Amino acid sequence: MDTVYYKLVAMIANGFGVPEDQITPETTFEDLEFDSLALVELAVSVKEEFGVEIEEGTVTAQDTLARVAELIDITGVKA
Amino acid sequence: MSARKCARQGPYVSPPETVLARAAILAGLGSWVPPEIVTNDDLARTLDTSDEWIRRRTGIRQRHIADAGVATSDLAVEAGRRALKSAGVSGADTVVVATTTPDRPCPATAPDVATRLGMADAAAFDIAAVCSGFLYGLAVSAGFIAAGIADSVLLIGAETYSTILSPVDRTTRVLFGDGAGAVVLRAGAVGEPGAVGPFDLGSDGSGSDLIMIPAGGSRQRSAPGVPADQDRYFQMDGGAVFRHAVARMTASARAVMRRAGWAADDIDFFVPHQANVRIIDAVASRLRIPQARCVLNLDRVGNTAAASIPLALAEAAAADLRLGQRVLLTAFGGGLSWGSAALRWPDITPY
Repeated sequence: MDTVYYKLVAMIANGFGVPEDQITPETTFEDLEFDSLALVELAVSVKEEFGVEIEEGTVTAQDTLARVAELIDITGVKA
Repeated sequence: MSARKCARQGPYVSPPETVLARAAILAGLGSWVPPEIVTNDDLARTLDTSDEWIRRRTGIRQRHIADAGVATSDLAVEAGRRALKSAGVSGADTVVVATTTPDRPCPATAPDVATRLGMADAAAFDIAAVCSGFLYGLAVSAGFIAAGIADSVLLIGAETYSTILSPVDRTTRVLFGDGAGAVVLRAGAVGEPGAVGPFDLGSDGSGSDLIMIPAGGSRQRSAPGVPADQDRYFQMDGGAVFRHAVARMTASARAVMRRAGWAADDIDFFVPHQANVRIIDAVASRLRIPQARCVLNLDRVGNTAAASIPLALAEAAAADLRLGQRVLLTAFGGGLSWGSAALRWPDITPY
């Protein structure tokens, strides 16, 4: 889970211009001011980086980064 | 020289020179938007939306809307006239109109446009590829010229999306605008500035419901009953389209860059379909093309579908584009469909 989490942090820092020190496992997408389009773009990036498909609606603005990292792990393991 | 197959599988191998003796050369460029402007604030008076929301989500500030009674052919004729003037010619032997909003479902709009521009005997037909229409049109024109079917093509991307948008649907009504852009393509040599190509085209019919006008065609007409009112209007699943657009535009642009032998640094101007600045940013960042090299005019004209790319080109040509500069075009639209093309800018003056 750790590798996934840190890759996710790097992805958000680089792709969305958020300073890394503002990101913790408990940070929500609402905290990051992600609207629904940003969540869709994140899903595209997650697919590119991890090869994992996050279904639309599975991740909401109230979810934390830890939750998404977990989701990627679970979905990846299934595949 | 041994014969080579042009197979889609495996790395692209360009055909022998004798096959590609004639390229389509960009010789003229014209554009037209109807005079009436509707701002985000204008829309917010009757729709549950706001200028701030529209700008943040799409980058659009205003769009041009055709007057009552004005149809797509009217915009196409004006843009076509300007492109011919830009090229310094009185006509072309083929007229192609790329549009989602033909004057009527039948016949095509192009023959009427050709006749009104004084080209009554020209080959004339429409291309229906929604927002990818202009790219598909460029490829078709290049094919016509290379095959000797035409010596010159007037290709027009023209739309009156205002005629297919539901007045009460804020998810679509804020996005689109009316307008037309046109180019004249003439036969020339492959290495000439202005030669259009290489190309990449594609489609994915599994997403055919994501961007559509459900009613009015054979699917709805062949079944009993009257369509629901909202089915007569353009509908789009924004979130899903965003996802597909970013993935497909990126892949298609990369394919053309590979075929052209261009690295990201080599590209002087990236001219993407102007649907949403968030899509453009996402694609440009994946391609490693800096924002300063992205042509953007959707803030002023909105998403003009098949007219989007020639309108953006006309604006860039008037301001920045110079002879020999490497230009990359990429579009994505309903179908789903997508296309990309490369060209080195010629010495033309848009009109």
